[in-house]
Amino acid sequence: MDGILMLTAEHLVLSAIGVGLALLVGIPLAILITRNQTIAGFTMAVTDVLQTIPSMALLAALMLYLGLGNTTLVVTLMLYSLLPIVRNTYTGITGIDKGLLEAGEGMGMTRWQLLRMVQIPIAFPVILAGIRVAMVTAIGIATIGVLIGAGGLGAPIWRGMQIMDNAMILSGAIPAALIAIACDIGLNRLENAVTPRGLKVSSLARS
Amino acid sequence: MKMKLSKCLAAILVIGLMAGMISGCGGDTGNKVTVGSKNFTENIIVGEILAQLIEAKTDIKVERKLNLGGTLVAWEALKKGDLDLYPDYTGTGLMAILKKEVMHDSDQVYDLVQKEYNELYQIKWLEPFGFNNTYTTAVTREMAEQHNLVKTSDLKPYAKDLIFCAEQEFFNRDDGYDGFVKTYGLSFKDTKAIETNLKYEAVGQNKVDVIDAFTTDGELITYDMVILEDDKAFFPPYFCAPVVRMDTLEKHPELEEVLNLLAGQISDTEMQQLNYQVKEQKQDVAEVAAKFLQEKGLI
Repeated sequence: MDGILMLTAEHLVLSAIGVGLALLVGIPLAILITRNQTIAGFTMAVTDVLQTIPSMALLAALMLYLGLGNTTLVVTLMLYSLLPIVRNTYTGITGIDKGLLEAGEGMGMTRWQLLRMVQIPIAFPVILAGIRVAMVTAIGIATIGVLIGAGGLGAPIWRGMQIMDNAMILSGAIPAALIAIACDIGLNRLENAVTPRGLKVSSLARS
Repeated sequence: MKMKLSKCLAAILVIGLMAGMISGCGGDTGNKVTVGSKNFTENIIVGEILAQLIEAKTDIKVERKLNLGGTLVAWEALKKGDLDLYPDYTGTGLMAILKKEVMHDSDQVYDLVQKEYNELYQIKWLEPFGFNNTYTTAVTREMAEQHNLVKTSDLKPYAKDLIFCAEQEFFNRDDGYDGFVKTYGLSFKDTKAIETNLKYEAVGQNKVDVIDAFTTDGELITYDMVILEDDKAFFPPYFCAPVVRMDTLEKHPELEEVLNLLAGQISDTEMQQLNYQVKEQKQDVAEVAAKFLQEKGLI
């Protein structure tokens, strides 16, 4: 049981690091590309293509350069997390009512202030929704990390499959499902909590 | 809102730092070897046996990577130096890695893979363990006794009344069904392509008569099957042996002698037993490996 708890913790940490790195790369990238439509289209296409590569193939390919172990898994998870994060951040920011931006400009806000005080706060719930998708996906993909020597809940799942031991499979699959659900619910709550009250009211008023 | 944003940024930063820490771990390669194995039961058992033997006989620390996703992953990791050794099969080396044509003489295959691995990759094949995990044909003990079947050739007079069953792969392979029946001059009443686990079920219930099998399958014990000797040496040899990086052997000169203690120590039937204990009886791999090494007097 201790073993499973350790593996579950490791699984969660590896998934979170992968998604965390995707945030570090993805959010600044998404903000940058809001300024140029051509580059935005290109970037989205690249993240779309990344998403279509089968995960085992991507793991094996990255393994050739990064070697066995957790690093390769984390980079793989980061690449898969880029799509929902970049797309949601981009959509969140470009979807903001032009009137609000003009109001900000009218108040004498600099570009940075506008981003920090208007664009990001308003887009934040949408960005969080992307993080939620990324996190749940990452927890799923991390179960195959064992095939390139990474840690996590993949070990009991794959061993169980080889020896046809359902109890062993479930001892890995159930915790993986539980942390995925927990992340989904937790981030969903956070999403509601950070939606600016004004935005909620205005959307209510509109509908 | 501002507060929440900065908290969020801080969390991201912490996560990033943790990533750095995790990938920074495991940098200590001083007195350590990494033992790998591919993701099927037999390879994992043998990998565990190698790891325990090194731990018992040397003061080298062992890191285990025992569930790697197939030959490609294990092989590339070995070439790269992420693994120091893993158990592989001579036939796999010949055909999957060196991309050579099928060969049937086991010594010739071993010598060839040894030479090419040494020259091309600075990787060495140590002494084989003894078992040859290749294709074979098997029948129930009842049928073997009834018709006095020992060799594959003995099937010839009865084949017209027998149903042959194998995985689809066996029917597709160059070294599979077509070459097999041609070499032995067999014509079966019928053939069935079926999934591996169902194959044993089917023969257990006498729905089919002859199946293909791997010589070391643990299921052969569960279903009390008799292997028919490949008397015309049709199936290519897949002898298992450790493949080790030469620079690892230079760094740890004692390693080669220790690993070669296993030379010829695991027969086909002994490997069947080990597979049976882990796969069919669900025993723990580490315990099965330790028990085996103790029985052999190696630890």
